Amino acid sequence: MYEWAEEHEMLRKAMKDFIEAEIVPIRDDLEHGDLPPYDVLRKMFRTFGMDEMARDSFARRIAHEEAVAAGEVDPDEKPPGRPGGDPAFTLIPTIELCRHCPGMVTAMGVSMGLTASAISSKGTIAQKKRWVPELLTMEKIGAWAITEPNSGSDAFGSMLATARRDGDEYILNGSKTFITNGPYADTIVFICKLNEGNDPADRKVLSFVLDRGMPGLEQSPPLRKMGMHSSPTGELFLDDVRVGRDRLIGETEDVPAGGRSGAKATFQQERAGVAAMALGIIEQCLEQSVQYARDRRQFGQRIGDFQLIQQKLAFMEVARMNVQNLVFRTIEMSKAGRTMTFAEASAMKLYSARMATEVALEAVQLHGGNGYMAEFHVEQLARDAKVLQIYAGTDEIQTVAIARDLLGKPEE
Amino acid sequence: MKVAVCVKQIPDPALPGELDPTDNTLKRDGKLILDESDSYGVELALQLVEAAGGGSVTLVSMAPNNEVSGLRTALAMGADDAVLISDDALSGTDALGTAKVLAAAIGRVEPDLVLAGVESSDGYTGTVPEQIAAVMGLPSVGFAKKIEIGDDGLHIERQTELGYDDVVCPMPAVVSVTAGVVEPRYPSFKGIMAAKKKPVDQVTIADLGISADQVGWAGARQEIVSVTEAEAREAGEVIEDDGEGYQRIVAFLEELKVI
Ligand SMILES: Cc1cc2nc3c(=O)[nH]c(=O)nc-3n(C[C@H](O)[C@H](O)[C@H](O)COP(=O)(O)OP(=O)(O)OC[C@H]3O[C@@H](n4cnc5c(N)ncnc54)[C@H](O)[C@@H]3O)c2cc1C
Repeated sequence: MYEWAEEHEMLRKAMKDFIEAEIVPIRDDLEHGDLPPYDVLRKMFRTFGMDEMARDSFARRIAHEEAVAAGEVDPDEKPPGRPGGDPAFTLIPTIELCRHCPGMVTAMGVSMGLTASAISSKGTIAQKKRWVPELLTMEKIGAWAITEPNSGSDAFGSMLATARRDGDEYILNGSKTFITNGPYADTIVFICKLNEGNDPADRKVLSFVLDRGMPGLEQSPPLRKMGMHSSPTGELFLDDVRVGRDRLIGETEDVPAGGRSGAKATFQQERAGVAAMALGIIEQCLEQSVQYARDRRQFGQRIGDFQLIQQKLAFMEVARMNVQNLVFRTIEMSKAGRTMTFAEASAMKLYSARMATEVALEAVQLHGGNGYMAEFHVEQLARDAKVLQIYAGTDEIQTVAIARDLLGKPEE
Repeated sequence: MKVAVCVKQIPDPALPGELDPTDNTLKRDGKLILDESDSYGVELALQLVEAAGGGSVTLVSMAPNNEVSGLRTALAMGADDAVLISDDALSGTDALGTAKVLAAAIGRVEPDLVLAGVESSDGYTGTVPEQIAAVMGLPSVGFAKKIEIGDDGLHIERQTELGYDDVVCPMPAVVSVTAGVVEPRYPSFKGIMAAKKKPVDQVTIADLGISADQVGWAGARQEIVSVTEAEAREAGEVIEDDGEGYQRIVAFLEELKVI
């Protein structure tokens, strides 16, 4: 794949039209007010039939799993193909939304991506049926909570949130922070350690599904932050939240790799999405910069005629081509049924996130004082882009993952 | 309920267009898109078929180089299939020639209703729908803003300068649809994926029993003698509002006799 196919171009055009009509007019409220993005995202899902498609493909997958569980189908048989099988159909909305409101993609991706897949990859059939369909259609908003005030990059090592057994039930405690959709989430995947009185380093990592309004669960209002304002971020406080085993994902404590693998698979999926987000930001910054370089005149000529400005545009174009190629690569690999290695996904995320930030800051520079003003869109995009280097694993953590793959584990 | 919708595929108006200096016509060799003014006809057709509880929507388009991009957009909205007439001999065809070709293609579809836009966004002759009706010997209603199917035929609200006329018309008929009267739907993801596989019947004028001398430059009864730039609009009058600005605006509108 070296360019978008005809149906991809049609989708891009349709998304652009929708965004111009429905999102651009409320962008100020989303980005400079406190308007949550969920209603307009739901409208997008309805408009393009994304909700119906998600429901259908979920029903097909569950029917297959039930058939396997009943011994009617060979477990090695692949589930029936989804009509939405082309990954470009998820990446293109990501790219187009990120040209305007990358925060909306963060909110959407955490809900229907991370949260739903945490349940659908490790949950029981009953748990999937209970929570996943409404997350996939955005009728319900999901949050995925691992980060804590004292536990970020070292997510498992420093984790303090706990589950204690109490008869057939568990009692959950702890606080989580920087949680996307935290303030509004209906369905929360809460990741914590099973406290059996043993050494915290040896404790099993368990994930529980919580519903909004459960006794002992508090969801904070949105935190003030640098960018991504169209994605509400908050804190969660759990004070003796009592849950049954039906809320323990997989309904078993015997989780492979002590529960650490589930969260790792989630990290990997996040990283591929970041490349598409970066591409949207880069495309928009480049387009706006080319236009400004043509229109703005100083010293009697277009600023685009200055070589120093040309250098910025050329840098942005190279970044756009590279990140686009990475996105095409994820599409090709996914169509071929292959997944990237952890290190490869890390390399892609590291590069794309850096390029998004550098391109956006260069776009601000090219716009001069206007670039620093909220009236010009690159101002917002530069603030938004920065977080791509922090969440879903910081640049430094991606670097460590790449180096470890190249060199093996550090010598003791 | 079988509806045929005439759709034109035109050069993207967002891109700078170019005239062919030899014959003063718009260059159409690049990618073409669905004329927005035809998307209303497509939407109305889809709504009518849905309201009728079933049927089909067939697109009919005449375009150079077997161009299908614009058709795919309308197929993604939900149209079932398309007839595309593409033939080198059609280059230079005037409005009446176009109507003859479209009429011949529509005849093969045998629809209960033919819809078209009032006028295309690149040619603006605004005569083709009525000419199709004349060629086919069907009733013609222009400027429809609402269409319903009744027991006694089509019930049409036909836009006029002062309001609208209620028209009842037997079927089949050719009806042109005013731009902006319905909200054309976005193609759904499913629709976009399905559009690729929907049938497009590609035909030549020979397939339609039309000879080359009836169409193209040979058959054209019109010629574009010259093209001049439209006059630039004069700058309007800016009224600074000192609190009494509305009075000046009211006086201006009274002078125009619009209030
Ligand atoms: C907008 C936003 C949304 C978020 N959404 C969610 C969410 O939905 N759910 C969730 O669970 N979390 C979420 N997070 C949290 C995010 O994943 C963490 O912020 C991130 O993993 C970094 O952790 P930290 O903030 O604790 O930084 P720290 O880990 O304290 O890092 C501080 C600095 O030290 C560096 N560092 C740390 N360890 C190493 C090392 N081994 N080698 C070299 N350098 C190192 C880091 O790279 C960084 O530069 C979100 C964060 C933001 C900003």
